[in-house]
This record gives sequence, structure tokens and C-alpha cells, in this order.
Amino acid sequence: MTPMAHAVISCLHANLAAVEAVLEDIDRQGIETITCLGDLVGYGPQPNEVVQLVRERAIPTCQGCWDEDIIDGLNACECSYPSQLAERRGHRAHHWTAEQMTDENKAFLASLPMTLRRDRLLFVHGSPNSQHEYLLPDMSAFAALERVETAGADTLFCGHTHQPYVRELSGGSIRVTVEQAGSEGATEQELTLPMRRIVNAGSVGEPRHGDTKATYVIHNDTSGEVTIREVEYDVAKTCQAIVDAGLPEVFAWRLSHGFEYAERADDASHVCER
Amino acid sequence: MERWALVSGLRGDLDLYERIQRDLSTQRGVESLFVLGDLIGPERNCDALLERLRQPKRGDLKPDCIYGWWEEQLLAERGYRGDQNAQVLRREHGDDAVDALLKAVDERHLPWLASLQFGFIELDCALIHGSSADIGDRLTSETSPLILLDRLTRLDVNRLFTARSGQQFRLELTGGAIQSHVKDTAGEQQQEQAVPKRSVIGIGQGAAFSLYDAATDRLDFMRAGEPCVTPRRT
Repeated sequence: MTPMAHAVISCLHANLAAVEAVLEDIDRQGIETITCLGDLVGYGPQPNEVVQLVRERAIPTCQGCWDEDIIDGLNACECSYPSQLAERRGHRAHHWTAEQMTDENKAFLASLPMTLRRDRLLFVHGSPNSQHEYLLPDMSAFAALERVETAGADTLFCGHTHQPYVRELSGGSIRVTVEQAGSEGATEQELTLPMRRIVNAGSVGEPRHGDTKATYVIHNDTSGEVTIREVEYDVAKTCQAIVDAGLPEVFAWRLSHGFEYAERADDASHVCER
Repeated sequence: MERWALVSGLRGDLDLYERIQRDLSTQRGVESLFVLGDLIGPERNCDALLERLRQPKRGDLKPDCIYGWWEEQLLAERGYRGDQNAQVLRREHGDDAVDALLKAVDERHLPWLASLQFGFIELDCALIHGSSADIGDRLTSETSPLILLDRLTRLDVNRLFTARSGQQFRLELTGGAIQSHVKDTAGEQQQEQAVPKRSVIGIGQGAAFSLYDAATDRLDFMRAGEPCVTPRRT
């Protein structure tokens, strides 16, 4: 692997077996630069072990929404949950994680920056606006481009959705007419839009792309090429640890299926705690 | 169909509000008056205007109000926004401006100001003070169309009426497109997305206000006490 390659990982979610497998996969390829997009904890059974591993490897990391919630409490809710059932499960995981974590590891999460930047590459958890915003692959292409362009980046690396993808936005233009008070008639303008990319690193510790394999991406700084990697790990081991820890069993079920069926029960009556 | 009057930035000026009410009484078909925030400001005592907005006089067009940037600063400083305070006002204008704002509004109005909404959705139009991103967002005719399209998309409306910049303008998105190529673990997809035909309208502030007819999409830029200043369509 060329030395210009770097790996981007996200959403580790306290799944030690998955994190170890992904780091081994990265090491095997001789990649020395790793960036992490946060959510080290939540859902999974080994929050301290995962945070400790990230600290030991000195992996530059930005703060995810779960990391923020553990520090700031659940008032950081941004309607992240699609249903009240999902929210109750999330709260159980939150309280369990908060109880388990050492003060030192909490302090580490609190110290994480919201964004990391390397030249024209920007690294965030959700979007440049919020750790809680989902940049899904089918969101409006113009809105997606706005997120990258307004942040002053060429390529935006994000996570949060647990679904890895590479989206290239190109060949764009917007034509407008403008009328102003006191001016005679309307003027026409055309804006040519720049080419930008969004790279979603998927999830190491809780994949939801229809497969149980942990996902991350490798980006080549020179060629711009992005490779989505899928890595096998011992899913059953983490599932058993989830059950043993007393966390909601649906988290183990979800992990063993690789998609978020259990979180799709949209509940229109959900009211944001904020 | 009824016409809407869209007003903002009264900033406690009851005389100005009365002039606008007089103008509206001479306009045909104006059935609704939307006051898009900045009812208050630090320049003068705002209590008389707030009383009038809350309890209109006979013959007044009844106002529907939302909160604006100045209300946000006051409510934050008065503890209605959690841990926040009027930090933006303090940073931009100093402690004296914060003190002046606190003195300009009697505390009896605070619960009512705190009850005001961020915006209204009427038909396919959003009526807000700043933008869907932030109450302090100043959208102008020079704002990048990419940002304007984003603000429209966030609310999923065809027309966004905004007041924060104080400008009176209408910017219509008339065409264009973008290519989107997505690669994921399932394969690759190429799509073209066209620019939707949507508009952002700056309604003005203070004496500058706007009249809008949703049935015909006719927009008139007004100044209190003066004839219409809308440009002729070419």
C-alpha cells in the first residue's frame, strides 16, 4: 500500500472484537495514519477497553454524538431516535455506559474536538453542522454539497449513519433571477458549482449496511481513490458480551443481522426531550 | 385569495406600526398581518408596541407574531434559553446594548415573547425571521444560491420569506442541475438532480415591508407612507 494511504474509522460503539479486527486489517496493509470519527462508546459492552485502545494507539479522533452524550448527559438529544422504544433502549445503554466508564476515559471523550482538518480534507462525526445530523447517501445532492462547500473542504469524511458510501457531486449549476426593491426589472445569474465528495466510513462496531462485517475506508491522498473495506470479526463473542452485560438484547440481534430493523418503528408521537 | 402583509423590525416603534396599519387599511384584500420578529430593540421602550400587538385596537389588522433575533437575545439573557445568555449581542454591541435591551422591555411581556414560535408554515411558504438554519442567518440577494437552496430544502417549502437581512428582494431558482455518483457495498449509482423552482423572499424591515398574494404569487415591496416600490417584471 502506498504511504499516502490513510484509514478512516467511525462508530466503534464499544465493540472491542470489531475494533481489534479492523486495526489488524489496517496494520496488515502497512497504513500508519488512522483518523477516527467518534462514537467510541454506546450500544456495545466494552466502552473502557475501546477508549483505552484508541488512546494507546494515539488515533486522532473527533467527538461523536454518543461520546458527547456521555459527557454532557442526555440533554444532548437531537431527536436521534426514530421511536420511543428505540429511545428507551438508547437510554438504558447510555446509563449503563456512563456507570461503567472510568473518569479518565470520560475526560478523554470530553477532550475530543468536534472536527479534524487536514488541508482540504475535513473529518466530522455527523456533519459540519452537528454530530447528530445524518448525511445519508440519498439526501438532496445540493444540500449535501452545501455541507462540504460551506465547511471549506474538498472531501468531507463522516460517519453516524453506519452505512459506508462514497458520493461524488459534480457538474452542478444553479440559475437564478433576482428582483430588488428600487431596481428596474430582474437580473439573471448562473452559479457553477464545484466538484466535492462525501465519504462515509460506515461503522466498525455496529454495521447497518446489510452485513455483519465491520466497515471502514481507505483514502489515497495522492490519487483520491477511496476503498470501502469490510472486515470479518467474531460477532458472536460481542453478542454474548452484550447479553452478559445486561444491555438490551436487541443490540446483539442487530449486530448479528447487520441492519437496523429494530430501529425502524417510526413513532410519530416521539417528542424530543429538548 | 387573501393577501398577506409581511412586516419585521418594528423594534418598539409604535408610530411606525400605526403608519403601517394605516397603509394596510387602504390596500385591497389584505387579510393577514405576519410580524416576522424583532418586535423589540434597545433604542426605545417597547412596552406600548407590545401592548398593542398583544391587544390590537379596533380596526387594526390582527398581527400574528414570531420571535426574531432581538427577542432571542432578550429571552436568552432573561434565562428563557437554558444556560445561554445574550452572548452574540454582548460580543457585537457590548454590555451597554444588553442593558438597554433589558430596560426596553418590561418583564410582564416575557412569557408572551417566550410563547412566540420560530416561524409559520402557510400553504407552501415558510415565514421566518432568519432562516431554517439559524435565527441570525442573514439571507440576501447576494447569498450563494447553494445556501439558499439548502435553507429551502431544510423546510421542504417552495417559498421562504425572511426578514433578518432587512433587504427587500425576490430570488427565484430557475434552473440548473447536479450529478451525483454514489458507490457503496451494493454497487454504484449515477443520478442527476434538477434545481427545484423555489424562491427566497426578503421582506424588508422597519418601514420597508411586503405584500404577498399566494394565489397569484404577486409580491409588492412597500415603504410605510409611500407608493409601492416593486420593480416592474421584464
